[in-house]
Amino acid sequence: MKPSGDEKRERPIRCPICGKLFVPRQSDALPFCSARCRNIDLYRWLREDYSLPLPPRWDEEDELPLDPDADQGD
Amino acid sequence: MSDADAEAVNARAVAGQDEYSADKLEHLSDRDHVRKRPSMYIGDTGMRGLHHLVFEVVDNSVDEAMAGFATHIWVTINADGSVTVEDNGRGIPVETHPALGISTLEGVMTVLKFGGKFSKGAYYTSGGLHGVGVTVVNFLSEWCVVEVHRGGNVYQQEYERGNPTGPVRRIGGTQRTGTKTTFKPDHEIFQTTDFNYNTLWKRLQELAFLNAGLSIYFRDERTGQSEVFRFEWGVVEFVEYLNRSSGALHKDVLYLSTEAEGVSVELALQYCDDYTENFHSYVNNICTTEGGTHVSGFRAALTRTLNQYGRESGLFKDLVPSGEDFREGMTGVLAVRVPHPQFEGQTKTKLGNGEVEGIISSAVGEFLAKYLEENPKTARVIVQKALLAAEARESARKARMLVRERKGALSGGGLPGKLRDCTSREVDRCELYLVEGDSAGGSAEGGRIREFQAILPLRGKIINAYKAREDKVLQNEEVRSIISAVGAGIGEEWDLSRRRYGKIVIMTDADVDGSHIRTLLLTFFYRQMFELVKAGMVYVAQPPLYRVRRRKEVYYVQTEEEMKNQLLEAGMAEAVFEYGEGRVLQGGELERLCRTLSALDSAIMALERRGIGLREHAARRDSASGRLPVYHVFLGQDEYWFVRREEMEDFLELREAETGKDLVVQADRNGEDAAEPSADEEADDQAGRVHIVELHEVRTINNLLQDLREMGFGLDDLFLVKRPGDEKPRYVFRRGDIEQGLDDLQGLLAAVRAAGEKGLQITRFKGLGEMNAEELRDTTLDPAHRTLVQVTMEDAAAADEMFRVLMGEKVEPRREFIERHALEVQNLDV
Repeated sequence: MKPSGDEKRERPIRCPICGKLFVPRQSDALPFCSARCRNIDLYRWLREDYSLPLPPRWDEEDELPLDPDADQGD
Repeated sequence: MSDADAEAVNARAVAGQDEYSADKLEHLSDRDHVRKRPSMYIGDTGMRGLHHLVFEVVDNSVDEAMAGFATHIWVTINADGSVTVEDNGRGIPVETHPALGISTLEGVMTVLKFGGKFSKGAYYTSGGLHGVGVTVVNFLSEWCVVEVHRGGNVYQQEYERGNPTGPVRRIGGTQRTGTKTTFKPDHEIFQTTDFNYNTLWKRLQELAFLNAGLSIYFRDERTGQSEVFRFEWGVVEFVEYLNRSSGALHKDVLYLSTEAEGVSVELALQYCDDYTENFHSYVNNICTTEGGTHVSGFRAALTRTLNQYGRESGLFKDLVPSGEDFREGMTGVLAVRVPHPQFEGQTKTKLGNGEVEGIISSAVGEFLAKYLEENPKTARVIVQKALLAAEARESARKARMLVRERKGALSGGGLPGKLRDCTSREVDRCELYLVEGDSAGGSAEGGRIREFQAILPLRGKIINAYKAREDKVLQNEEVRSIISAVGAGIGEEWDLSRRRYGKIVIMTDADVDGSHIRTLLLTFFYRQMFELVKAGMVYVAQPPLYRVRRRKEVYYVQTEEEMKNQLLEAGMAEAVFEYGEGRVLQGGELERLCRTLSALDSAIMALERRGIGLREHAARRDSASGRLPVYHVFLGQDEYWFVRREEMEDFLELREAETGKDLVVQADRNGEDAAEPSADEEADDQAGRVHIVELHEVRTINNLLQDLREMGFGLDDLFLVKRPGDEKPRYVFRRGDIEQGLDDLQGLLAAVRAAGEKGLQITRFKGLGEMNAEELRDTTLDPAHRTLVQVTMEDAAAADEMFRVLMGEKVEPRREFIERHALEVQNLDV
C-alpha cells in the first residue's frame, strides 16, 4: 500500500524522560509520553538539575584557528 | 433451604399444623445438593460457572501432568455444544473401591469429596479448585460420558444429570492410557450453555504457560477454530507474551526455579517501559488475584534486595524508591506449588499459608541478589526505572504543594519583579524579550518600544559540576519568572489562551554562553510550553555581530561570514595581483581567485578542526593526480590514507584475504573524534577492527585545488617555500597606495580584506551589553530593522536533541559536541 499523507505524523517519537517510543497522537503531554513524564521534567528544571557543560576556558586555546579574523576590525 | 422454603415451614409451624419431628428433616444427596445450590460449588450459573465446568475437568488432567504422568491434553468443544477433555495420563482406576463398594471411577464421578487430591497419595500438589472436581461437573450435566484407557482395556460409564445409566463396563482393548470425559451442561441449571472460545483459549494458554512442556490441543468443532499451546520455557514465555506490546527495558527475562521446604517456586520477571505493574501469581495453577502470602513474600524480597543494591552501588542520591516504585513497569509471573493451600478472601483467591511468605522471600531474595551482582547493566536499568517512578511520585507531590502554597504561583499570580512589562494589553501585538545578562537587559529596557515590548532579563548561573567542570544552569527563579511572565500556566494548568504575549523572543549573545542559554531556553519551551512553539510564537533575535562606520554612515553586519565577504568585495575592487615574472591578475580573474581561496579557507578550517593541518595533509597527496586523501582508515594500531573509495576497498579486501578474517567495520562517526580511538576500543582486541573516517571537506579542497590549477596555481603556492638567493617577494598585491609582498597564496585573502577595511571603522560586539540602548533598538528591537528567526518545531526538537546529548551520561559525545559546536557557535542558524 502506498504511504498515506499521515504517515509522517504517525512516526513514533522518544519521550525525553523515560525514553519510551510512542506515537505522538497517543499523548496529551507532548513532547512527552505522558503528563507524568512532563511533570518530572518540570521539577528537574525547578530543581536546577539541568545544566549544560561550558567548554574549558578559552584563554589558552585562543590561538586555535577558530577565528583568525576576529580582531581585524579593531 | 431457600427463603421461600423456610417461610413455608415457618408458616406451617405457626399454624400448628405440623410437628417438628425427625421424619420431617431431609438429607439431600450429594447430587441433589449440588443441583439445588450449584453456586456454592461453581460460583454462579452464568458464563463464569459454565466455563468453570471445563476448567474443573482440565484441572484433573493438568494434575496428571504435574504429577508427571500426562504430557498431552485435548480439549474440544463439540458441534452439539458438549465438551470433551482428554489426557494421556494414567486413567482413573476402575476397580471396586474398598470403602465405597463401587468402582473407583463411579466414586469419582458421583461422590463428593472423593478423589486423589485429599491425601498425599495420588497428587502431591493439586489445583482442582477446592476439590469439588469432576463430580460437580457430572451432577450439573444433562449427560456425561467417561472413558478410561487403563491396563490394556477401555472402560466406560455414562450418566444422566449425575446418575449412572449403568455400571462401568469394558468396551474394548487399548494400547494407551488416559481419561476422556465428555459432558453437556444442563440447560435446566445454566442460564446459557454456549461456550465461549476465547474464554477457554485464555485459560488453556495460561495453563500451558504454567506447565512448561505440556501440550494442550484446543479445538472448536462449531467453527473449526483450533490452537495448540506448548511452551518449552513456561513462565518465561508467559512474561514475554505479557510484554509483547510493551518496550522491554532489558533483553533477558529473570528466571528462578527452586524448591524449599516442600514449596516449589517459579518466578519470571522483566521490566518494561509501562508505568503499571503487570504481575500474575498462581498457587497450584490457580490464579491468586487477591495475592496472599506468596505475593507478600516476593514483594518484600524485591524491595529489600533492589534497595540494598541501589544503596551499595551508589545509585541513590536524593531519592530512595519505595516498594511500589520498584514494581512500576514490572511484568512478572510467580507460580508456586504448595501441598496444602489455604485460600481466603472474597473470591477464595488469596493464599493464606503463613509459612509460604518466608520461604518465598528468602528464595527470591537470594536469587535477585545474585542476579543483580552478576548483571550490573540490567540491575542499573531496573534501579533507574524505580528512581524515575520515585521522581514521578515526588514531582506529583510537589505539584500539589505548589498549587496550595501560593495561589497559582506558577499559573500567573503575581508578575516577576524583574519583568519590565509593556503597557499594551493587546496580546497578539505584545512581545516578551528574554534577554541574557543584566547589562544587556538594561540596554534592552532603554531601547525597547515600551508600548508593546516587555523585557525579562535572565542570568544563567554557572555552577561547578563534578571534576572542575563548569556548567550553565537556568535557575529556579528564572524558570518561575518565565512561567509567570508568559502567564499561560504550566503542566496540567497550561492554557495557551491565557498567554500575555503574542511573541516570545529569545535574545542572547553570539558566544558559547549565549548559545547555552539559548539551548536551555529552547529546550524548556519545547518541553514545557510545547503549544507555544507549535503555534510559532517563539523567536530568536539576531543581534548584529559588527558595527561598521564609514565616514558618518553607520551600518551593522549580522555574521562573520557576511563581514568577511564584504571586506573581500571592497578589497578586490581596483586591485592588482602580480605573480612570477610580471604576470598580473585583476578584475574578474582576481575575483575568481579570491573567491576560490575564500572557499578553500573555510574547508581548510574544517580540516584543521579535526586536528589535521593542510601542510601535513598535503604531504599525503597522490603523486599522479595531486589530489589529497579523503579516507582515513584505522586498522588495529595502524592508519592508512586513501584518495578514492575503490582503493580503500581493494586494500581492505586484500587484508581480509591475507589474514583470512573478516574485518569488523565500525560506524563512520563522520569524522568526529577520528584521530584517537576511545579507551574502550583500545582495550579490546583491535586487530580485526577497522574504523573508517571520511573527510568530506577534503573533497571540497580537491575540487578547489583543481580550480586553482586551472588558474595556474598549485598546492605548493599555498605554502611558504624557501627560495634561497631570491630577495624579491613571491607575489605582490597592489591597490591604490597599498603595495604588499606576499610569501604564499594563502596570504592574499588577508591582504585583500585588509585593503577592503581601509576607511572603515569596524567594531565586533563581544556581547549584547556592548550595544547601547539606541543601537539595540535600531538593530534588534525595532520591528522595522530587526531580524527575528521563528523557531520551528524542528529547530526546537533539534535543540532538545542537542540538550539530551549534553545532559546524557556518555562523556564522549559531550566532549565531541563541545569541541565541535562551541567553535561554530557564532554562526548558529538559529
